[in-house]
Amino acid sequence: MRLKLTWRMWILIIVLLFSLIAVFGIPPRVFQKGVVITSVELNSTAFDQGLRQGQIITEIDGTPIKNLEDFTRVVKDKYTGEKVKTTFLTNELEVIMFSNETPKITVSSISQTNIKTGLDLSGGARALIQAEGQKLSASETQDLIDVVSNRLDVYGIKDMNILPVSDLSGNNYMLIEIAGATPSDLEELVAKQGKFEAKIANETVFVGGNQDVTSVCRNDATCAGIETCQKASDGGHFCNFRFSVYLSEAAANKVYQIAKDIPVNASPQGNYLSEQLELFVDDKYTTGLNIAEVFKERPLTQIAISGSETGKSQQEAFEASEKEMQKLQTILITGSLPYKLEIVKLDTISPTLGKDFINSIFFAGIAAILAVSIVIFFRYRKIKSSLALIITSLSEVLIILGVASFINWNLDLPSIAGILAAIGTGIDSQIIILDEAKQKESLSLKQKLRRAFAIILGAYFTALVALLPLLWAGAGLLKGFAITTIIGISVGVLVTRPAFTDMVNMIEE
Amino acid sequence: MVSFYSANGDFIYKDISLTGGTSVTVYEKTSATQIKNDLSDKLSDVSTRSIYDIVTREQKAVIIETTTEGDTTRQVLEEYFGYELTTENSSFEFTGSALSESFYRQLLIAILIAFVFMGIVVFIIFRTFVPSTAVILSAFADILMTLALVNMLGMRMSTAGIVAFLMLIGYSVDTDILLTTRILKRDEGSLNSRIFGAFKTGITMTLTSLFAVVFALFVVRSFSIVLTQIFSILAIGLGFDILNTWITNASILKWYKEKKP
Repeated sequence: MRLKLTWRMWILIIVLLFSLIAVFGIPPRVFQKGVVITSVELNSTAFDQGLRQGQIITEIDGTPIKNLEDFTRVVKDKYTGEKVKTTFLTNELEVIMFSNETPKITVSSISQTNIKTGLDLSGGARALIQAEGQKLSASETQDLIDVVSNRLDVYGIKDMNILPVSDLSGNNYMLIEIAGATPSDLEELVAKQGKFEAKIANETVFVGGNQDVTSVCRNDATCAGIETCQKASDGGHFCNFRFSVYLSEAAANKVYQIAKDIPVNASPQGNYLSEQLELFVDDKYTTGLNIAEVFKERPLTQIAISGSETGKSQQEAFEASEKEMQKLQTILITGSLPYKLEIVKLDTISPTLGKDFINSIFFAGIAAILAVSIVIFFRYRKIKSSLALIITSLSEVLIILGVASFINWNLDLPSIAGILAAIGTGIDSQIIILDEAKQKESLSLKQKLRRAFAIILGAYFTALVALLPLLWAGAGLLKGFAITTIIGISVGVLVTRPAFTDMVNMIEE
Repeated sequence: MVSFYSANGDFIYKDISLTGGTSVTVYEKTSATQIKNDLSDKLSDVSTRSIYDIVTREQKAVIIETTTEGDTTRQVLEEYFGYELTTENSSFEFTGSALSESFYRQLLIAILIAFVFMGIVVFIIFRTFVPSTAVILSAFADILMTLALVNMLGMRMSTAGIVAFLMLIGYSVDTDILLTTRILKRDEGSLNSRIFGAFKTGITMTLTSLFAVVFALFVVRSFSIVLTQIFSILAIGLGFDILNTWITNASILKWYKEKKP
């Protein structure tokens, strides 16, 4: 057999090369050392110095960082509470920081390929959320998403994806996906309306959101933080937090208008109004704050909000107060959600199982290839054509992965089932080509192969139309199956099958 | 199937992905039957199963499924195991019952639409009534027979299982299109030799798929409920497809062709 490649084979080779590049990157990511930054806390020292998400840390203080273990070890040894100088070398820049605490960044090991796996394989949280008792329109859903993204952002959740989805029955949902560890209070953050109201004598004086609240002090020890921790009489502990809030002129004036008519009570701690500033979150009373006498004199835009949380130990009480303060700050800044919400689906997937899962799929794939090879060799007893068939199918897998990496598609379980389906139909079509070529007729090989293609196209179109409804059914959670199958069978008809036909041509002649 | 429907009010036994409820995976080596016995009075409609390592066959985790909603299930399980369940040691999947009902309805609609679309394409390809109907009928019979057997085995269907039926439509139609094309659009050789030729090709196609599915099933069976279900349904469906394509469909086409040469 002379090895002269036809243009169809060249197309296959070129597409394969592109897929390899799409999957492994240039230069291949396998050879890259370091850890990749997955998030940087806004306004932290690390952020101010220029560290950003996506940068790759390769050295700390001259010590090469090859992997996650290196990073953890170096950082752990480095920060012991004293202020130290640290030099980070990333692929983009060198950063020098002086700090007494570990940089506010999260890192992860560099993935060796560009293939992205879905939450059900890589771990993370997914919530599907609907308005309670009403159907939202597409634009209402978008409004909701804006508020919720802002809220999660302010709260400090970074690696997230939040988007509208709709289904065949015209329901609109908000889909939130968070990679990696799941914040324990995710449900509260995304589904609680977070309506903040401050009332004096049963009259609302200001609410959360930028209409009334111009700014909220956060991450600044001079105007926000835990003040004192004490042992309670029941043996538990409690900690008090306090932070400053800046009101708009209008809101400050409203406080003044109401306060000026309220009598003052004198007490050993100082003079306070006889009514308290009462805070409500989602219509539930949370705290009452004493109002100083000075609020009667003129409108004041700066006020302090305080509260306390309890815990079994001091540490627990401290963390609870910190969390509560952060939550209050978040809803004061972002305001309340426009609708009452309901979580209709909530999955939190541990990353551990995903790894094993990928292995099991790999084994299953090998088993399937083995099975296919056995049947094919048994039936055709020709090494060359059988090999051509197996190689073509393997290259289809690679191309599907390449396209998926290229379009940034997250491979989840349905997507992987889809790849299997596509490969299965691919093998079927190749068997048709092989058999049509073998028919004993007066037709030329070319004509025979053309007839094979007529059958394959028929099968292609039936499969294609059968998959379309799945793109929308079930809020798109099974979309992956349709996507990878459609990529697979289309690549088959356009690229691999024509090349395979030429291979058969070559082998048979 | 009719008697099944009248007895159960539905076509299938549904698992919690279609009825609503919680599925929890905990990395525990406690036996699945014991957990089921211990928890059956605290959680409603509990079913459990173990997951094993593919290579070492050691138990890795246990899956607990219940129709009880997420928070309550978490509380009950944390009390039972005596520690907090975090993303480090467990996975939670909760689906509200209204949502799963709507998912179920939509997936049925999706299959129906897929079926209609497939039928339209088949009619466009062959442009004759009897053969096209035979192809559609054969796919329909595949689904129906598989469904019947799946129910007899008492398998609880998940969303993935329904997707498997979609895959089945694709595989089923492949061989039918091959057979119909060979019989109707070719005129070389006798009718019987053409059927036999198509049979040789078609049976190779089905057998490769069947072997691949069964081998893969053997690997994933202890590990993934989702893939196990997809592969089982495909294996059953492909088996029935051999019957439906090469006995039912081939007979109809032969009769049609002989009557109208």
